[in-house]
Amino acid sequence: MTERVIQRSGVHARRAGNWALNVVLAVLGILMLAPFYWVFITSLLTTKDAFQLPPVWFPSEITVVNYRRVFELIPFWHMALNSLKISGIITLGSVTTSVLAAYAFARLRFPGRDVLFIILLSALMVPVQVTVIPTFILIRHLHLLDTHEAVYLPALINVFGIFLLRQFFLSIPREIEDSARIDGAGHLRILLQIVVPLSGPAISALAIFTFQAAWNEFFWTNLFLTSADRMTLPVGIVSLQGQYGGGSSFAIFAAASMIVFPTLILFTFTQRFLTESIARTGIKG
Amino acid sequence: MLYGYAFLSPALILFVVFIAGPLLGAIALSFYKWDLFTPREFVGLQNYRDLRDDRVATIAIRNSFVFAFWSIVLHMTFGMLLALAVNRAMHGALRYFLRTAFFFPLLISWASVSLIWRYALNPNFGFFNYYLRQIGLHPPNWLVDRHWAMEAVLFVDLWRTVGFTFIVLLAGLQGVPRELYEAAMIDGAGTLRRFVNVTIPMISPTIFFVLVLNFIGAFQIFEPMFIMTNGGPANSTRSIVQLIFETGFRSFEMGYASAMAIVVFVVILIATLVQFAGGRYWVHHD
Repeated sequence: MTERVIQRSGVHARRAGNWALNVVLAVLGILMLAPFYWVFITSLLTTKDAFQLPPVWFPSEITVVNYRRVFELIPFWHMALNSLKISGIITLGSVTTSVLAAYAFARLRFPGRDVLFIILLSALMVPVQVTVIPTFILIRHLHLLDTHEAVYLPALINVFGIFLLRQFFLSIPREIEDSARIDGAGHLRILLQIVVPLSGPAISALAIFTFQAAWNEFFWTNLFLTSADRMTLPVGIVSLQGQYGGGSSFAIFAAASMIVFPTLILFTFTQRFLTESIARTGIKG
Repeated sequence: MLYGYAFLSPALILFVVFIAGPLLGAIALSFYKWDLFTPREFVGLQNYRDLRDDRVATIAIRNSFVFAFWSIVLHMTFGMLLALAVNRAMHGALRYFLRTAFFFPLLISWASVSLIWRYALNPNFGFFNYYLRQIGLHPPNWLVDRHWAMEAVLFVDLWRTVGFTFIVLLAGLQGVPRELYEAAMIDGAGTLRRFVNVTIPMISPTIFFVLVLNFIGAFQIFEPMFIMTNGGPANSTRSIVQLIFETGFRSFEMGYASAMAIVVFVVILIATLVQFAGGRYWVHHD
């Protein structure tokens, strides 16, 4: 009898503990997102209200003046277009070079293959600090400073992507390609008609992460691009910081909201796919 | 045979032009004095000798190490705790919400995130200090306080990127077969024993993967310091990336900046090799 009571109170305590932990987790999750909500709400406030404490979470009066300021201060849509163009070229280009190289490493035989693979992999240990000065000198020498080429050309190689796809290609059974080979299909056809379609999840995951990294890139873009009408969104929004004065600093809140909210909507629908691909690449590595 | 080189050539050419070439270029440049505009001058090891007595460079290197160390400790600890907490029986909607909430900041650029937190941490109108004061604390003026600026950057970094470690470790935990835990339980192993003897060995490749990626990422971080504090106050958040950036593109000392880069490269190389060598003793591959 007493034993059963103890046992049951143990179950109760356990359940209460579980419940409490869930509440803590939920609160943490809300706190994670709170800054974004705060930015959005503040972007809708007049400067006077925005400077007030306690912070306003549910405003009674809103204004779009901060959004108007953004368009006065920077060519926002033009920058968004630049971001889209540069990220698109980087994604398409670097996924293509990665697919080709990964296929060569996974399926083709040629002298020096494994040595080349190791040399290429060791590039993962070369940090940006090392390549930035010579790359800048090279870009300047080629008269490409302040052009989009300067930003996307160096990003067309993705050593991590090559590694990832090679591992994936190696996991595809060779027999699938053998019948095509007997039918006389060349390597390019085997790659495009068999290997690439079979690697859909890996390639799309790589493409998404490449796009996301390119879309958010700041360091190189900030270094190479100086004209406002050539800048991408991350560099553009930071340039707002230098322009404020007289309360227009809240234009940054409006610009950040315009960047964050489309992403949040897109992410809510693709979360499962995104997090699962990132987890998969993590486990594969 | 030719196909191999043909398929490889785009990646290989880009590799030589934008990675291997610049690496060799940086080594060569580190023996010169050059301001980009006047002819360069060979100075041998002088840049490296200057570096030894450079107080700011010493501080920046130390900052980068301190940041990398604490960033890794915080990410691994919180990432693991979160993964363990979410890897329990719970409502599907709650799990979906948690994965979304912790992963989402990763999708927003460091540029936006740094600006957002610059304002959120502002003592005059940011919400952060306001609520800390409400619960009876006396928060410092984070980004302009020499003793707290780095802590603030570490916090923002944790907030933005802990989701990656969390999601990857969670996937690792979900891959551990249940039977192993049941067997350990029958053998009388408690929660801690099960964690140390079952969980850790089973997901050790995943742990190793996030550890290496966190390390590489922590050393190359630039934006949060550059945008939130610009390296200040009093150099307390100046990272080695920012110092190289400034030495190269503000003071135009290309050779000196390259010497810094090479020193950092050698240090990172040794640290990475140590990680891989050490990994042999605790990472289980099967």
